[in-house]
Amino acid sequence: MTQVLGEFIKALREADVRISPSEVIDAEAVLGLVGYEDRMLLAHGLSQALAKSDADKEAFWDVFDRFFAFAPFTPPEPANSAAGNCDAEEQGPDDQADGDDEEAGVTGMASSGGSGQGSGKATGKGEGKPGDKAGGDQDAGMFGAEGESLTMAEELAQLLEAGDAAHLALRLAEAAQQAGLSDIRFFTQRGMYQWRILQLMGSEELGRWIDQAEGGSNAAAAARATRLRGLRAGLHEQVREYVETQMQLFAGNEGRRLREDMLASQRIGLIERSDMQIMQGLVRKMAKRLVSLHSRRRTKARRGTLDARRTIRANIQFEGVPFHTIWKRTKVDRPRVMLICDVSGSVAQVSRFLLLFLHSLHEVLPEVRSFAFSSNLGEVTELFDNYPPDVAMGRTLQRFGGSTDYGHAFRDFEQLALDDVDRRTTVIILGDARNNNGDPRADILQTIQQRAKRVLFLNPEHRSRWGSGDSVMPIYAAYCNRSISCGSLKELERVVTDLLRTAA
Amino acid sequence: MTTAIHQNAPAGDQARDGLRAANDAARTPSESVASIHRLLGAQGYISSEAIATALFIAQSLEKPMLVEGPPGVGKTELAKAVSAITGKPLIRLQCYEGLDEAKALYEWKYSKQLLYTQVLKDKLADVLSGAEGLKASVARLHEFDDTFFSEEFLEPRPLLKALWEPEGAVLLIDEIDKADDEFEAFLLELLSDYQISIPELGTIRARQKPIVFLTSNNTRDLSDALKRRCLHLHIPFPDQALERAIIRSRVPDAEEKLRTQLVAFVQSLREMDLKKVPAISETIDWARTLVLLHARELDRALVENTLNVLLKFQDDIERVGEKLNDLVGKAKSNLR
Repeated sequence: MTQVLGEFIKALREADVRISPSEVIDAEAVLGLVGYEDRMLLAHGLSQALAKSDADKEAFWDVFDRFFAFAPFTPPEPANSAAGNCDAEEQGPDDQADGDDEEAGVTGMASSGGSGQGSGKATGKGEGKPGDKAGGDQDAGMFGAEGESLTMAEELAQLLEAGDAAHLALRLAEAAQQAGLSDIRFFTQRGMYQWRILQLMGSEELGRWIDQAEGGSNAAAAARATRLRGLRAGLHEQVREYVETQMQLFAGNEGRRLREDMLASQRIGLIERSDMQIMQGLVRKMAKRLVSLHSRRRTKARRGTLDARRTIRANIQFEGVPFHTIWKRTKVDRPRVMLICDVSGSVAQVSRFLLLFLHSLHEVLPEVRSFAFSSNLGEVTELFDNYPPDVAMGRTLQRFGGSTDYGHAFRDFEQLALDDVDRRTTVIILGDARNNNGDPRADILQTIQQRAKRVLFLNPEHRSRWGSGDSVMPIYAAYCNRSISCGSLKELERVVTDLLRTAA
Repeated sequence: MTTAIHQNAPAGDQARDGLRAANDAARTPSESVASIHRLLGAQGYISSEAIATALFIAQSLEKPMLVEGPPGVGKTELAKAVSAITGKPLIRLQCYEGLDEAKALYEWKYSKQLLYTQVLKDKLADVLSGAEGLKASVARLHEFDDTFFSEEFLEPRPLLKALWEPEGAVLLIDEIDKADDEFEAFLLELLSDYQISIPELGTIRARQKPIVFLTSNNTRDLSDALKRRCLHLHIPFPDQALERAIIRSRVPDAEEKLRTQLVAFVQSLREMDLKKVPAISETIDWARTLVLLHARELDRALVENTLNVLLKFQDDIERVGEKLNDLVGKAKSNLR
């Protein structure tokens, strides 16, 4: 596999596009077919082999644009005419020798077309090396006794003075590849990579020479050194930018991932308001994963009913004598869920995410009815189905916010929806069970439990605090099939996964 | 009891179809893409660069192509156009819930088998005459046992038909997202190796690899295994220029002015929050309607009366109706 494609795929994977090895092989075939000449052709071709959903396509185009960005190396100020002359004289003898290499390098770039730095990496590797050597032997004379070790520096100096953007970009890409820039993970590594790249490009040696020459007695050399110092500073700036963009490409998501991981296991009540947006994205991502995991409808054999059509079909090879019997199968029903959420201040945030979570699972949980309460209880299914989560939650809080009264809420639920609770229904109650010393009305919960398939009670408080103060959790827990302490997003996810798995 | 039916049929002299010819004539990939674009255009299918590229790659790599996009953007039409270009027959398999291999792949002709056994009952005596004892009779019968499970009694369904087509075919598996997961899994063998295993007959390979298109409306996520085996093309709604070109090709009678206006109008509808936004097929229908009504340009009354061609929900019609003046005005002023 070519280096470019490998790194491009690395960048894509970093952007959360899942790419399997067989798709990599496809991409390689596409690359072999279309080549680098036509940028759009390449983009369309690769996108067909690598990005296979809307979200992936979007990520693909973003990464493609950044990865194959033709960011031409802004040439440093071209050397003034006097210097040019001086260079020409110095360079005289090696012009011809270099010529071929230059040309090879240029054709290399041309064939890779507009694909810029990326392709430079591939072609550069082959072309650059011999050039270094060939140029080196003759350049040595200029630096005198210093010998071959300075050739890199000298070549860099010449490139800088000539303002040869294409070659500088090539050298930069080459050095970046040698330094392993695509392995960059954290922003703290930027400095290190930048230094390594500059070293590989010969900038360090050039620096040494500049220091020496400026202090030296040779006036021409000193003048040249001063000029190069400026050019070299420009180079440093560009390398820094390059490392920056590459880090965005290869590690842009690393920090986000760490943060998401941390947020997912933190207690929801403690999460800063500013992180809510990330949290919502996270919930959606979790929901999507669960949907794809559980979107297969399971079937269960219905015992005792023969499927005549399929049996005949299966036994046709035995002249219709039914050796194999095939039984009718029924699709397993999706669980029906009723969600009763406490939206009073203390648990509103957790409710928000559970509501968002379950309503994001619409594809695998088509029958979710949600109720919200503080003291009065009402149905909010429509709100969450039709409006974005922020709006829905805002309206819910507006309507049902206030101080908690579980007894009242259960009474409302009894009137509103108890009749719809049947043996297929899973009832999930989310709340802290802090009833402000009111009547808990556990008898209604008991009725619900008798009718429903099961009742889950999710309490964001830690188990050790259940029953302390005005908490009536121990009373409720008696009438629940399971009561779970559930404070963080990860714990929520576990509950929902469990709900989907035991749906049958 | 395996009968060899067309297994490994030699490729023979390759059909010189349009796509391949276009490919051979062109020297660079860009040229082949351009010529595919022209060929599609000649069939009245105006393609975007992405579509032409996808077609070029799919047929060069001989891989199935999964086409996704909103309904009515020409996913099915693409397969039809390719069939017309290549001169290969289009074999279409419409997917739905409950589709199984008996309907997709093959079926035995039960009634014919039964009829034949009845008719041939008398012959049985002749066949068995002279056979001494049960063992010999069974041995004698064995010589004939594949008779009723041979090709004559096999009813090929679309998938098998596509594999059997001697010159190759264009196989369109339409709306794969409507089929069950089991069927999706069943397709994997066909998609990766262009072969199918039938218990009674053995493995059947394609005589000529068919050009396979799968379309999906994204009603559910397809499995990764399926996606992995296909190239993926997403066809979005076209931009204004492309849609004008499509209308020009499909409804040549529509005058320039009308065409520009109606496309602008439809494009502005797509930006609205509607239950179902009009797709290209609706634009074409609408253009035809307007031509029938001898319209030369849009006006409010005309649009109001024909809106039901474009929008399929009463809610949407009402919502658009409220803003009709604005929308028509904008479409008319937008004479670029």
